[in-house]
Amino acid sequence: MSTITTADFHKGLFIEFKGEPHQIVEFQHVNPGKGSAFVRTTLKSLKTGKVQEFTYKSGETVTEIPIETQEMQYLYKEGDGYVFMNNFSFEQLQVPEAILSDYLHFLKPNETYQLLVHDETAVGIRFPKKVRLLVSEAEEGARGDTVAGAGKVVTLETGLKVTVPLFIKEGDTIAVDTATGQYLERA
Amino acid sequence: MKTWQKLQKHPSLWQRYFLREKLIRSIRKFFDGQGFHEVETPLLAAHPPAESYLEVFETTLLDRQRRPTKAYLSPSPEVPLKKLMVAGLGNCYSLTKSFRNMETESKLHNPEFTILEWYRVGADYKDIMKDCEDLLKFINKSVILGSEATPESDLKDRFWTSQNDDKKKHQIIYQGRKIDLTPPWERLTVVEAFATYAKVNFEDFLDFQKAKIIAAKKGYRLESKTTWEKLFNQIFLNEIEPKLGQGKPTILYDYPASMAALAKTKASDPRFAERFEFYINGLELGDAYSELTDWREQEKRFKEEMKEIKRLGKTEYDYDHDFIEALKVGLPTCSGIAVGVDRLVMLLADTDDIADTLFFPASEEFGSP
Repeated sequence: MSTITTADFHKGLFIEFKGEPHQIVEFQHVNPGKGSAFVRTTLKSLKTGKVQEFTYKSGETVTEIPIETQEMQYLYKEGDGYVFMNNFSFEQLQVPEAILSDYLHFLKPNETYQLLVHDETAVGIRFPKKVRLLVSEAEEGARGDTVAGAGKVVTLETGLKVTVPLFIKEGDTIAVDTATGQYLERA
Repeated sequence: MKTWQKLQKHPSLWQRYFLREKLIRSIRKFFDGQGFHEVETPLLAAHPPAESYLEVFETTLLDRQRRPTKAYLSPSPEVPLKKLMVAGLGNCYSLTKSFRNMETESKLHNPEFTILEWYRVGADYKDIMKDCEDLLKFINKSVILGSEATPESDLKDRFWTSQNDDKKKHQIIYQGRKIDLTPPWERLTVVEAFATYAKVNFEDFLDFQKAKIIAAKKGYRLESKTTWEKLFNQIFLNEIEPKLGQGKPTILYDYPASMAALAKTKASDPRFAERFEFYINGLELGDAYSELTDWREQEKRFKEEMKEIKRLGKTEYDYDHDFIEALKVGLPTCSGIAVGVDRLVMLLADTDDIADTLFFPASEEFGSP
């Protein structure tokens, strides 16, 4: 446990709020009329998933929660969860979909990811900014479209559909930006 | 993507930004129609008003020999307007840029913003409350209901008119909530708001020691630098502000005297000052006072504020002695308000982010961390 102030706040930070672990989903500074500065945060409970707002005094101290980063391999989907295995201890961990929801279309079995773990529960994932994925389905040839920057839609091994330049073929591996879901380059 | 690039790509976005020009025209029409004088006040100020809650932008004025004089970007047009009222101008307003430092990383603040201030001579804050009701009604009528130039009717759909009401009931939707702008708005004192929404007895809360106990019981953290004002605002921001202005705009009035540096205290209870703010669905839109006219009291408060500015380590400057001279000559009884014009655009555009109302938001120009 370490003590930090609101100046250290950033999205995704894990802090203690009313004795329970929470994650900062969003925060912004507010200055009430003729008043000093405050920080309005949106906090998500790690235990219940409940989201609530709380406004801190600017500079107020809070307790940061220690979060462990574990290298884990994604194995398979099971029910509503996703099973990962620790590469060193071989212990398995069921990760709820909510944590992975932004990245489901990039998730590949047998790949290693960095999971954030608190109290033996997965609380987040540090997903790579770009991933390499195989083009599993692509239309043959161009459709005679000669406009500069023209593209076509292909399907990747994870089921994700992306718009790519015409020269990309089935069997190619491409790099995709995980924040925007857009094609970056042929890998 | 920068805003100009978004606009080029999605021309439908222009409508949102055009609300600002319509709003500005509407505001001018409202005040010009009542004989108010529009005044240009300096953006480059020699003496910003002494207010410890603000951090100013400091710059340097050079003469032809490069001899420096400190200068400041004006944080409000209030003091110049008051000097002109001393000189006999009468009712007046200013629609201008103002600057406040250390207000980044917020959806509600831009370091450079547009402010509307108006003053009525011979009036008190209750008259300004009525002005606010009338102004919002007028803006709604002229900007929204009178806007034939929105074929998408995207805007018109948000504002509907009750058919069987001749006076036309004005309802807007802001962030998913219907707000009826028809006067009179809800009027709530600070004391009532604390009792209703925070279950706090304000008589007790006025005592700093008791306030600490109340705040601690509620689970707020007390630190050595926690002031009474911070406890007030933390309870206010957490428990009260989000509840204000739902269904109807709320006028919150009669603030503790310590929180109103340029306001007149109430004759009936000098612990409170004649100040109000108004809110629509938790959004603070304006801050009004019955203006302080007593030069001795004003000078005393300025000196206290200067000490506080020093204690807080903020940019120090000398207060405006010329303003005290003006008050000695005599500021007529008057009341005025500062309204955030960007926030009015937020309301009309139904957005919760001030950056959505600006072509060049500071977060985009300077990058946000």
